[in-house]
Amino acid sequence: MEIVALQVLNSLFYAAVLFLIAAGLSLIFGVMGIVNMAHGSFYALGAYVTAWSVGAAAATLPPAALFIFLLLGAIAVALVGLMIEPTLIRPFYRRQEEYQLLVTFGLLLVLEDVIRLLWGGTPLTASGLVDSLGLVRIGGLPYPVYNLLMIGVGAVAALALWAFVYRTKFGVLLRATAQDRRMAAALGIDVGRIYALAFGLGCFMAGLGGAIVVPSQAAVLGMGVEVLVIAFVVVVIGGLGSLEGALVGALIVSALRTITIQFWEEFELAALYLIAAIVLLIRPTGLFGRRA
Amino acid sequence: MDKELLQERRGFLKQFGATLGAAGLGAAGVGTAHAAAKPKGNIPDRPVKVGHTTFLTGPAELLGGPGQRGHVLAQEEINAQGGLLGKRKIETIFADEAAGTDGNVKELRRMKLSENIELFTGVISSGNTPALGPVAEELRVLTLFNDGCTDFLFDKAVPNPKYTFRVTNIQSADGVTAAIGAATHWPKVRRIASLQPDYSYGRNVFEHFVLALGKLLPGIEVVSESWPKLGTTDFTSHITKILSTKPDLLIAGVWGGDYVAFYKQALRYGLFDKMKVATTLAFGGYPHAIGKDHPEGVLAGVHANYHFLYPSGDRWPVNKSFVERYHKRWKEYPSFESDGAYTALYLYKQAVEKANQLVGGWPDDEAIIAMLEGTGIDAPAGYLYLRADNHQGYKDAVTGLSKNLPGYDFPVWDSASIVSIPIRSITAPPNWPKPGQGHNESTAAADWIKKTWPAAGKA
Amino acid sequence: MKLAVPILIVLALVPVVASTYQTQLLTYGLTLAIAALGFNLLLGYTGLLSFGHSAYFGAGAYAVALMMRYLGVSSMELFLLGGIVCSAALAALFGVVCVRHTRIFFAILTLALSQVLWTLAYKFFWITGGTDGLRVPFSKLTLLGGLIGFPGADAFARFISFYYYYVLVVFCVCTALMWLIVHSPFGKTLQAIRDNETRARFLGVRIWRYRWLAFLVSGIFTGLAGTLWVPLNGLTTPDVLYWPQSGKIVFFAVLGGFRNFSGPIVGAVLFNYLEVYAIALTEYWQITLGAILIILVTFLPAGIVGTAQRLSAKFK
Repeated sequence: MEIVALQVLNSLFYAAVLFLIAAGLSLIFGVMGIVNMAHGSFYALGAYVTAWSVGAAAATLPPAALFIFLLLGAIAVALVGLMIEPTLIRPFYRRQEEYQLLVTFGLLLVLEDVIRLLWGGTPLTASGLVDSLGLVRIGGLPYPVYNLLMIGVGAVAALALWAFVYRTKFGVLLRATAQDRRMAAALGIDVGRIYALAFGLGCFMAGLGGAIVVPSQAAVLGMGVEVLVIAFVVVVIGGLGSLEGALVGALIVSALRTITIQFWEEFELAALYLIAAIVLLIRPTGLFGRRA
Repeated sequence: MDKELLQERRGFLKQFGATLGAAGLGAAGVGTAHAAAKPKGNIPDRPVKVGHTTFLTGPAELLGGPGQRGHVLAQEEINAQGGLLGKRKIETIFADEAAGTDGNVKELRRMKLSENIELFTGVISSGNTPALGPVAEELRVLTLFNDGCTDFLFDKAVPNPKYTFRVTNIQSADGVTAAIGAATHWPKVRRIASLQPDYSYGRNVFEHFVLALGKLLPGIEVVSESWPKLGTTDFTSHITKILSTKPDLLIAGVWGGDYVAFYKQALRYGLFDKMKVATTLAFGGYPHAIGKDHPEGVLAGVHANYHFLYPSGDRWPVNKSFVERYHKRWKEYPSFESDGAYTALYLYKQAVEKANQLVGGWPDDEAIIAMLEGTGIDAPAGYLYLRADNHQGYKDAVTGLSKNLPGYDFPVWDSASIVSIPIRSITAPPNWPKPGQGHNESTAAADWIKKTWPAAGKA
Repeated sequence: MKLAVPILIVLALVPVVASTYQTQLLTYGLTLAIAALGFNLLLGYTGLLSFGHSAYFGAGAYAVALMMRYLGVSSMELFLLGGIVCSAALAALFGVVCVRHTRIFFAILTLALSQVLWTLAYKFFWITGGTDGLRVPFSKLTLLGGLIGFPGADAFARFISFYYYYVLVVFCVCTALMWLIVHSPFGKTLQAIRDNETRARFLGVRIWRYRWLAFLVSGIFTGLAGTLWVPLNGLTTPDVLYWPQSGKIVFFAVLGGFRNFSGPIVGAVLFNYLEVYAIALTEYWQITLGAILIILVTFLPAGIVGTAQRLSAKFK
């Protein structure tokens, strides 16, 4: 029984991280129509910045204060995003999709090497954050409080994002721009600013995903590319451009992964791609996607 | 440690001629360290170009980085003495193994055909040596792989090597060494769980570990298998699954950043309190990649090759001085890849010198190869020899239990726990039939173990 | 077109004047150019961006390896046949699924399907050798119905000098075929669909069928490239099915320029040099390739050939 409870929690934690990444990917596509191949690298960047800053400050600050670096890591990634959008991405809005895909593919290659240049090959960790919160017992088995808290962060982020998009004025502008860029521009909306902020917000989410993952795991080279493929599976299942889709997709993928690991270990990998292909066959726009 | 138990374990290890504790290293080197004789004949003074392909990027940089540093250290030392035969300096061309097999094959051809390298070294991945070995033979470029240790290379891909050699121990020794280490320290384990990266290395470890342990301990049973993809960092579901099957022992072949992420999560899930854990590569990367929070008493594998604290101190001065020089140069401690790459270059130097004494002048490849076959060297890891029949390097396989010692920022081995096994006890002897010809096992070693090891006695 | 004859003469002379190394490098380039030709029938002429062409390249490669391993075949002509059959079957199947969609959905669908194939090659290791891959040594290969083999010493140089011409002939045939295809009524119809789908539909064109045929032909060309590539590499691993391989094929087309016929050919050959020398010159080859890609798509959207044509038109 406690094994089931633990697996459900494992699955939820994984889903929380996947949701943060996939929601950012979906947001950027939904608003700007760009499939951001470098999105996984922003996630990796968030993990590295957080682990590095926690490591640098651990000697001087009390453990509780270190939690601020989770947020700072995400903000740092958002700032990088805000710098990249106007310089690299903006010239491509009027261009064909293949160019947009390629410029972000180039960005992925560059970011992978930049991370290595900055931090080298040794994995970075920040497990002090996990230890500072201790463990709870679930039917006799220990479970880190940190993971529970981060499942909460994932849920709060999902709610906040939903409220932001559907309940604020900015959200209205965002959705209007997503639906019809030209019309929005004609109505006097500063489309450039909306795009920059959407891109920054998407990067923030990816960075946050990386930031909350790193204390419980480790920041390693290649983690961005690794997660990108899975994030793609999530948005393909949920529907490109849909936030609800990202949430449901993340839950489905993480549950599927946990179940295959527990019962049919050999199919962990194959199951993900197969389900993505099947969803695409039946509903090419994904479960929640709109027809383009 | 209980004295009686210790006696019993020593008895157990005797069947392999293996030893427990730092007292190992029985037959020390055969004195290959001779004073360099004066080179004979005319030696040209143009540099010797060497190609070195290793992981400079990606997750496996953790293995490749130390390898590159070991190579550079040897290169600088040799050049400081005036170069090979006192005349020819070594110039190395480095290439990133992360460029993929296709890229590596093209780069080796470029190194040989366009840059005229005289020696090719490096290579970490077992996926790459079976591709590069045949290319090296085609191009007739003398090659000393320092890893890429799959049995597949000399079992199948290059069954009759001429130009290719390999310095590190063969891959099947990895699983077998972990099995002997586990059986030595924990003879009571029966229920086995496995966590292996989902590629050929993981399958090799799993197969040989289970096979060997089954011969050592009666009635073992595999209760769970996990095959995370290489590059996985979320192991919580795997860990929970392992816990649910209540094993006595976990054998883990995950390595690098994957292992770091794994042990951090396993620690918080209490996995280490509930079972013994044996690994094959936990201490395989940069030593400082593993934190002090790593639990003690884990069988921490080093690819069955080398850990910088063993052979210890004054017992084997070659290692002591190597570690000091390496640390001085790089401000970190060496890994088994450092030892492999360092030794590879010195093997070449030694063969060139010997050949020069015989034939004079700069020896041709045939002469160097003749001097490499069956040769031995006092490497940091201990005495290493290259078997003439399959060009594979053999040295004592080692493993030990993790422990935090003062003076190091990372866990090292408990010196009393180190198990050292003469390699001939755990690998197929010369001329044992190769797979696909004489038998259907995946490796010659597996076939040999299955046919010749006695079954486990009654408990 | 008027350049074709001089280029052909130069290509035919390469093994005579260039080293074995340069010859084999160009052999790779020509092989990849065939893949790019096939890919561009979809991207340039049909307006569909496939991010899953590794599937057909890999199918061609694995067809050779499996035939050699399990059927004991050694004839290159039989391999070409096998490669064509396998990649055609695969493209026909995947095509049915994919061409119902366009734009980004098409790209993602092709990507997902190629990844399924990659997983199969990875997981069914008792057949495919898993990550160890399957060996295809050129020493076991025969060309021209068994007339030419490559046993013994110095075989590599001999192999390359023959194999270069072999690939060159296949390349010329493929190029000529593709030229005919894109200038045929079929090709013109594809371009009409690309430029204005609605109008083409009003004209009674059965769009789905045209796109499927283009997909099929595209897959076969790319599969053929995979078949020719394997003996050069000596081994096939699941890497050739993984998505970065698809990314490379897209890179070829963009580098050369996919709006003209010869762009992808030039792009593939150039990319091959670019990659080899980037890896040789720096351990930061990823950042080098990434930066080149970004600069290219930002400043030279027409690719190298497209830009060159534009410049030469300006100065005329």
